[in-house]
Amino acid sequence: MIAVRLLLLAVVAAGAAGVLPAHADEAYPSRPITLIAPFPPGGIADLTGRPLASALEKVLKNPVALVNRQGAAGAVGMNSVAVAKPDGYTLLVALSSISIIPEADKLFGRQPAYTVDQFAPIALLTADPTVLVVRSESPWKTAREFVEDAKKRPGQISFSSSGVYGTLHMAMELLSQAAGIKLRHVPYSGGGPAVTALLGGHVDALASGPAAVIPQIKAGKLRALAGWGSERIAALPDVPTFKELGHPDAEFYIWSGVFAPRATPAPVLAKLRDAVRAAAAHPDFKEAMARQETPIVFKQGEEFQKFFDADARRLAEGVRRVGKVETK
Amino acid sequence: MVETIQNLALGFSVALSPPVLLYAFVGCVVGTLVGVLPGVGPLAGISLLLPATFGLNATNAIVMLAGIYYGAMYGGSTTSILMRIPGEAASVMTCIDGYAMARKGRAGAALAIAAVGSYVAGTVSVVALMFLAPPLAAFALRFGPPEYFALLLLGLLVLAYMSGGSMPKALSMAAFGLLLGMVGIDQMTGYFRYAYGVVELGDGIGVVPVAVGLFGIAEILTSAGQVTPPPVIKPKLRELLPSRQEWRDSAMPTARGTVLGFLIGIIPGSAHIISSFVSYAVERKLSKKPEEFGHGAVAGVAGPESANNSATSGAFVPMLALGVPSGPIPAVMLAAMMVHGVSPGPMLINEQPQLFWGFIASMYVGNIVLLILNLPMVGLFVNVLRVPYPLLYPVILAFSVLGVYAVNSSVVDVWIMLVMGGVGYLLRKLQFETAPVVLGVVLAPMLEMALRQSLAMSDGSYAIFLSRPIATTLLAVGALLMLLALRPLVTKTFDWRARLALAEKGDL
Repeated sequence: MIAVRLLLLAVVAAGAAGVLPAHADEAYPSRPITLIAPFPPGGIADLTGRPLASALEKVLKNPVALVNRQGAAGAVGMNSVAVAKPDGYTLLVALSSISIIPEADKLFGRQPAYTVDQFAPIALLTADPTVLVVRSESPWKTAREFVEDAKKRPGQISFSSSGVYGTLHMAMELLSQAAGIKLRHVPYSGGGPAVTALLGGHVDALASGPAAVIPQIKAGKLRALAGWGSERIAALPDVPTFKELGHPDAEFYIWSGVFAPRATPAPVLAKLRDAVRAAAAHPDFKEAMARQETPIVFKQGEEFQKFFDADARRLAEGVRRVGKVETK
Repeated sequence: MVETIQNLALGFSVALSPPVLLYAFVGCVVGTLVGVLPGVGPLAGISLLLPATFGLNATNAIVMLAGIYYGAMYGGSTTSILMRIPGEAASVMTCIDGYAMARKGRAGAALAIAAVGSYVAGTVSVVALMFLAPPLAAFALRFGPPEYFALLLLGLLVLAYMSGGSMPKALSMAAFGLLLGMVGIDQMTGYFRYAYGVVELGDGIGVVPVAVGLFGIAEILTSAGQVTPPPVIKPKLRELLPSRQEWRDSAMPTARGTVLGFLIGIIPGSAHIISSFVSYAVERKLSKKPEEFGHGAVAGVAGPESANNSATSGAFVPMLALGVPSGPIPAVMLAAMMVHGVSPGPMLINEQPQLFWGFIASMYVGNIVLLILNLPMVGLFVNVLRVPYPLLYPVILAFSVLGVYAVNSSVVDVWIMLVMGGVGYLLRKLQFETAPVVLGVVLAPMLEMALRQSLAMSDGSYAIFLSRPIATTLLAVGALLMLLALRPLVTKTFDWRARLALAEKGDL
């Protein structure tokens, strides 16, 4: 009797774990899809993911729900997708930090929460270059003056960031590396407080996403010196790029993209890639992103892979160069 | 002045239009509910409802989210007074004297005073927000890490100086709270501290599970452990309203709480929580009968409940005037504005007068709605006390578990709550106050961050605290308080603290 029960239990467990191809011929998608945003509501992943989910729902004619699974700077949510059943019903909307966290884990000799190769890239949705801003009453009128001054006074000019190894920290670090300067880092807990610190005069500079500082630039409180993109920011046509100024390695984007677990079957992945392409071109999604003043930069397949690899390599280098932060 | 009145008229024309009125009402109701539910606070409520606002226009969305924020401050007092469970973290102090009042049969009075105090604070602080936002926002910006650190340090000293009972006990509890607050990712270096491989602990120990555990769960354990169960209080209808004396006792604390809450609210951080602690401490210090605190002092309810409401308006100052967040809740609201294509920033008042003044006016309306909503509920809520304990306690336990889980969908948080319940039970048996632990958990991350940011700014030199006028002044006041606390050692006079100890010995 007990043996029969155990056998039954084993069969049920195997079915639940997906060992048995119970519904192999079932058409995808036939039940609700969950899109995980590993950050709290109101963040970039959330603000990009929600309009995408609703556009994807219309394209696939199947419910798509965005779920916020925040924790440990995104590691909790990303880990949950990395180990999710690879059936196309659990997807991830991730930001640049997806390649930073495993690198930082490596640095500290920690068991990584996940690795980048646990994910299959579906599509890049947005890529906003960061922009260097200073207060309008500060002495630097151009990025060149800023870099020159930083060279003369190493470690004297301070900048705020969204947190140690955070995106805004990495942007500044890539610039320091490219321009051969040393700046003083004062981390804050989030991009909002980092802007507040600059406005209040507690730090001298900040690398920020354009949307967060354009109102302050328009109001004459902040001045934009240069951008990290390969091209100028559309909303700030007079602001040069670091590339133009002779620092081609200072390239950095705050980007968002969609990923699936690596072992997701190829036909499902193909279907998802088509659906996400259609969703990104959907007028609802376009309108939502336009309102947030975030340009859509859509890349897929080879193109996205190349972008992702180059970005991951730059960030890994940045993290290694920062190394373990020792505070006095 | 004339211009302000014209603008306000515009605001009211927006706020009283049926859709805006409806969304303000919905926000207030949801806010009251998340306030009443233990665990789920305004941040969780706003975060959960943010997606639902994406389909609305910007004004409706902001009005509704703001309603949740200040509505939660009204609702938070209910469970604190009736069951000693903080409905949200800013109501921890209300648990102490509010619950003591309830045990004396004055639950109705405590609820009414909390509601009226919240109303007065809510309304007066909106007036302040309207007239003072731009200059105050400029002042708030001057609070950088060194000023913030000095302020928090001063806050801790004030609380230790003014807490009841033994000062070493209060300080040791605050230290325990600070230690708990150290768990998690070190914000300055990225190291995990005391996480023992539990990824969820990387985010630290949240204030919600600690507060619900130390107060709510510990209270249930303590009551259940008594040989004779505490008598079920049957509130009589005519005792629902505060007596004339109770109104009089609540007037000044409400006024002080309003001013204090607004000023603390402007400064970045979880101001509504801190403001309630500071207000409680100030009231105890100024009271002629400080020994009544902890045993049902009216001022201990009126002050903190006014302060936490007023702090919500204060928190909107940097958000509306500058477009920068003063805490996690305004940060979510800023995101909501951006979703709707409204760029929050210094130009908001000029570019979006309808939104700005509609928002201000809706807060006047919302506070009236909340008062109307909450006062009649007093009669209903006190009936909870009639429920026999064998039924009431399991229900409270279930709601606490649900509420704490809902905040982060984290089972780890539920475990933290349960462990803290056990710790709280032991501490109460040993006659330690547990409120300083909660305060420690709230303050530790901010205090540490501010100290280390300051040192990062100065490249490691402590002189930064003495070279900035605001920070230096705050630290000097703190030093003065320390000296005052030492005075009884020299003069050998009994202060109220000693009198209280003597009185309690007499009781035993």
